[in-house]
Amino acid sequence: MSDDALLAGMAAGDADAMAAFVRRHQSRVYGLALSVVGDSAVAEEVAQEAFVRAWRHAGNYDPRRARATTWLLTITRNVAIDVVRVRRELAMEPVVVAEMMIASRDDSERVADADRITTALRELPREQAVAVLLSVHFGLTAQEISDRQEIPLGTAKTRIRTGLSRLRTMLEVSHG
Amino acid sequence: MAERMSCATVADTLAEVATGAASGPDRARVLSHLAGCEKCRRELDELTRVADEVLLVAPEHEPPAGFESAVLARIAEQADRPEDDQAPASASAPTQVPHPLPAERRGLRRAFRPLALAAAAVVIALGSAGVVWQATSDERDIAASYRDTLEIANGQYFAAAPLLDPAGNQVGHVFLYQGEPAWVFAVLGQAAQPGVYDVVVATDDARHAAGTCDAENGDCGAGATVDADIRDIRYVQLVAEDGPTFTASLSSGWGS
Repeated sequence: MSDDALLAGMAAGDADAMAAFVRRHQSRVYGLALSVVGDSAVAEEVAQEAFVRAWRHAGNYDPRRARATTWLLTITRNVAIDVVRVRRELAMEPVVVAEMMIASRDDSERVADADRITTALRELPREQAVAVLLSVHFGLTAQEISDRQEIPLGTAKTRIRTGLSRLRTMLEVSHG
Repeated sequence: MAERMSCATVADTLAEVATGAASGPDRARVLSHLAGCEKCRRELDELTRVADEVLLVAPEHEPPAGFESAVLARIAEQADRPEDDQAPASASAPTQVPHPLPAERRGLRRAFRPLALAAAAVVIALGSAGVVWQATSDERDIAASYRDTLEIANGQYFAAAPLLDPAGNQVGHVFLYQGEPAWVFAVLGQAAQPGVYDVVVATDDARHAAGTCDAENGDCGAGATVDADIRDIRYVQLVAEDGPTFTASLSSGWGS
């Protein structure tokens, strides 16, 4: 059954659809949560909350706007970032995690649909790729990136914006 | 009305809104520009799709055993909670998880639905870290819905008004969107007196609580979805206990 069909079932209150949706996506949601918060107990809490929100907002999901996977991961990221913001600390250094996600030689853990974006990130200048990941995954503002990496604020902003724009161009090309 | 920023001025912040990292006040500033700028709306839409795609690079990791049943139990538990925004469990279909957005309840009353999950969490957990992140995360979710809202309303029913202190000095902004859902979002700037402010939304008929804006450490943003037509809103106030009241008047000046 497709994700769209499962989400429609969830919106109608179908417990089987919800269970199937959780089983299908749990390793991805938990993996993302873990990469942001760096603590297994907190990551589990975040991942559970993300699924609860997916259930609550299933009726608002619009397949024309986003794939179910990215929609769900966006929810997960938002929950994870807010946990991190309240704790005001990260279990792992985000720059190190970002570098690992780009550089990892072990692509066996990666899901097939991540190939395109992973390749594109690797083609970016390293500092831009890291800035994009710090912003997207860890929710770090340009100011926070500037403080962490000891670079001027303007440089941090430019890295995020330029990195994102280049990724768009690369993804458009690979689409075409 | 809020001052208009140029496309060049919002370009950097636009990227941060797309990645989800922008602060509440930054998001609000971009939103006020987007309402009148089709080009930047398109730009943001495209950048957001790219940023969302980046989330796919995180490696998969199996959660601990029992994860699935823990999620389902949590949903069932929420359904049992007698909060205003929670759907009642269906007595006629006990094997189902509760209906998340009961359509029959939507049109029942023209009422305001503050971020009630946050309110519920306050009652249950009394100030633990869990309360805070649920509250702020809902604010983030609300703000993140701007794209759909603007698209549906086509910017037509966007409104913004300055928040003024009793002396008439501007201390923040209020933004309102007519959409599905429609929502109200208040932002206090650094200039405001630190404190915790209740957001109050008033129509001709009644005043409604619409979240809490915590400006103890500087600026803050808080919002609520509304079931009513935003054009019925007359004013929005931020009220601090033993502190100042800030008011945004919305009796005129509607439209984009």
